[in-house]
Amino acid sequence: MSSVFRILLRRLAISVIVLIGVSMLIFAIARIIPGDPARIALGPNANADQIASLRTEMHLDEPIIAQYGYFVADVMRGNLGQSLYTNRPVTVDIAEFLPATLELVIFAGILMVGLGLPLGILAARHRGRWPDHLVRVGTLLTVSAPSFVWAVILMLLFAFYLPLFPVAGRLTDSYEIARVTGFLTVDTLLAGNFSAFVDALHHLVLPSIALALSGIGQAARLTRANMIETYDKPYIEMAQAFGFYPTRIARRYAFKPSLIPSLTIIGLDFAAMLGNAFLVEAVFAWPGLSRYGVAVILRKDLNAIMGTVLVIALTFLVVNILVDLLIAFLNPRIRHSTRASS
Amino acid sequence: MNKSLILAAALTAATALTSPAFAQTVLRVDEVAVGELDPAKASDYADSILMFNVYDTLVLPRQGGPGYDPHLAGSWEADGANYTFTLRDDVTFQSGNPLRAADVVYSLERMQEIGQGLSHLFTGVTAEAVDEHTVRFTLDEPYAPFVASLVRLPIVDQVLVAENATEDDPWAEGYLSGNAAGSGAYTVTSHNPQDVTVMALNEGYFLPINDAAPDQVRLRYSLEAATVRTLLSQGEHDIASQWLPPEVIRALAADGAQLFTESGTGAFYVKMNTQRAPLDDVNCRLALSHAFDYGTALQMVAINEEVSSGSAPTGAIPVGMYGSNPAEMALERDMDAARAYLEACPYDPADFNLEISWIAEVPLEERFALLMQANFAELGISSSIETLPWALFTERVASPENTPHISQIFVNAVTGDPDTLLFGMYHSSTPGTWQSPEYLADDQVDAALEAGRRGPGEEDREAAYAALNERLMELAPTIYGYDRQSVFAASDRVNAPALSDPAMAFGVDGMGFSFRLMEMTE
Repeated sequence: MSSVFRILLRRLAISVIVLIGVSMLIFAIARIIPGDPARIALGPNANADQIASLRTEMHLDEPIIAQYGYFVADVMRGNLGQSLYTNRPVTVDIAEFLPATLELVIFAGILMVGLGLPLGILAARHRGRWPDHLVRVGTLLTVSAPSFVWAVILMLLFAFYLPLFPVAGRLTDSYEIARVTGFLTVDTLLAGNFSAFVDALHHLVLPSIALALSGIGQAARLTRANMIETYDKPYIEMAQAFGFYPTRIARRYAFKPSLIPSLTIIGLDFAAMLGNAFLVEAVFAWPGLSRYGVAVILRKDLNAIMGTVLVIALTFLVVNILVDLLIAFLNPRIRHSTRASS
Repeated sequence: MNKSLILAAALTAATALTSPAFAQTVLRVDEVAVGELDPAKASDYADSILMFNVYDTLVLPRQGGPGYDPHLAGSWEADGANYTFTLRDDVTFQSGNPLRAADVVYSLERMQEIGQGLSHLFTGVTAEAVDEHTVRFTLDEPYAPFVASLVRLPIVDQVLVAENATEDDPWAEGYLSGNAAGSGAYTVTSHNPQDVTVMALNEGYFLPINDAAPDQVRLRYSLEAATVRTLLSQGEHDIASQWLPPEVIRALAADGAQLFTESGTGAFYVKMNTQRAPLDDVNCRLALSHAFDYGTALQMVAINEEVSSGSAPTGAIPVGMYGSNPAEMALERDMDAARAYLEACPYDPADFNLEISWIAEVPLEERFALLMQANFAELGISSSIETLPWALFTERVASPENTPHISQIFVNAVTGDPDTLLFGMYHSSTPGTWQSPEYLADDQVDAALEAGRRGPGEEDREAAYAALNERLMELAPTIYGYDRQSVFAASDRVNAPALSDPAMAFGVDGMGFSFRLMEMTE
């Protein structure tokens, strides 16, 4: 059995335990949030009998342990219950809203890695000179302001004053694209509609930049700090003494060891964007899961809260596993230590 | 950096070159809440917009004046507690099924059984199909505004709904939460409760439709104020919701947006908990009522010199409704009277601290909370401000001990009749709801409310509500903040006579958004 496979098995086992723990925690917390879900679901004009009847139907009068038992039994059957917010099965809501958020987060993640790492390398290579100062100031700015502030600033600059980008939604109203994956950049291509594909990309620009800016700054700063530390290592001095080109030293000898500590943080940032996307989704009217999550919390929609949190937790775990595997792949010492400990 | 700009420019150019032209007129509007498509559950503004366009009702409020006109009904007769309606025989549902009396009976029973939305309007009502096109309603007791309440009974296609019912879902709630089963002027093309509901013109509608009416309507949900402003400025939106902050509406108007209005059925009420000291004393309540700065409150909701989200209050009943005072009797701040009432109050202001709550989802209320805090401080009354999310508020008001001293609520008459505005707020049989955090229990108030319901004539009702108004001014369970008017910023692509011409206005919130009556100018 390969060491990477052993790491995968161990992480999967831990993930199952974490998921169970998260489900228990959120199940309890969701019931502590003020507000009677039956009263909220039935609306302000419902009478006491109707509320009592729905409470019974939702098992809200039973002990919390029994309620959790019903929940687990339903989940085992693939049933997350009915959303009181949308009056639809929670699974249907998640299937509809999750791809929108994932598409946004994936594009933001690509920007985070695609811009953050090169900027960090650039700053480290030119430490103490103007490119370094520029990157440090710029990234400090992006890290300091939350994504919703960037969302509003970007909207003002590039949609209101300079109407270059669309401001709301995922696709121009006039396009009708059959839903296959829920990822519009994919579905438009599957439909063979290139102009719709360009339109979907166009809609992604501002929200994904707003969401990614903080992560770009963090990735750049981390990469810079790690690379500067690596540049002080004797083997780099040796490479320099051998007269290797600076680009080769940066790419082959300094970047890879510097990347490993950054990867964990970048992975966590990537997963955290799922939850943090709420305000960006709100500003750009992006019909995603984060916005849905906040809406269901405000309405104390218990089934939808559980479904949303579990999906986000699951995404965190999957990203963590992928990052662990990637680190193990990049760093032989981790592979070997795993083999030794097993 | 250069590459990013080039990429952005390329994307913009590519999109501009490849965007297809609209083949039909599209109207884009927005609302803050999720739209409830099931007509039996409709209650708020977004739901009403959907309901009034996708479904039809037996009667409609008369445009520009009091009274009700036949709609799906050709005519009706009232005989005490019995109402007999003869249906039009030229109406078909969007499915193609013809309208029958059985559909009306089914719609009523479905609403009553589901028990949500505005089903309480039909408590004690039964219906029977006398023949294919005649339906008779029987009321347990006389209810003068019954015909008015029928504007909230959307008629569903029984055959279609029954086809989609299951053993677990006998009323097809799942189906109707995402699909339409009405006869309205617009059909539902798609419904995403968090994003947008798309409606298309129903070519087979039984009434003539204006040629310039929008072919498609996109009702968007929960757009941020900044987003709406940008969309309108880009020409990508047509009518903004009424819930924009006044300063945003003001900015839009300054940018050239036209302002639509809908008024006359509601007010902003500052509710005082009459079961908690010191507000269990009428003099103390009157002191607060007189200390409230009505003029500043109105300035806070003014859009410009001509248009405002509010007009001066004259009492418990908005101007124009049965029993209301004339507009000249506007309430004004009177600090001398306030101090005199406070003198007569048995409580010492130094001994209490008022809880002033505001609903977290309505930021405007925070400003009123601050205004009241400043106003009451001038009387030497200290207060603290508490933010309550709507869900928590509805739970808190379920018991008088937990109900804040002061709550702020916008209430409107859902049928246009004062009964649906006032009974739920002030009758002693309905305490502890979001409408009635006053916990008022007064025999004279109850008697006037019951007389207003009973009628039978318009003069009887006018007298009953006038007496009610007078009594409510004496008791002061509420500070009557201002008579409310909804203001909508709109692009110049659309004309909406029901929202701009008082002679064409309906007296029911949301009905001004009857899209079949709107005109697209481009």
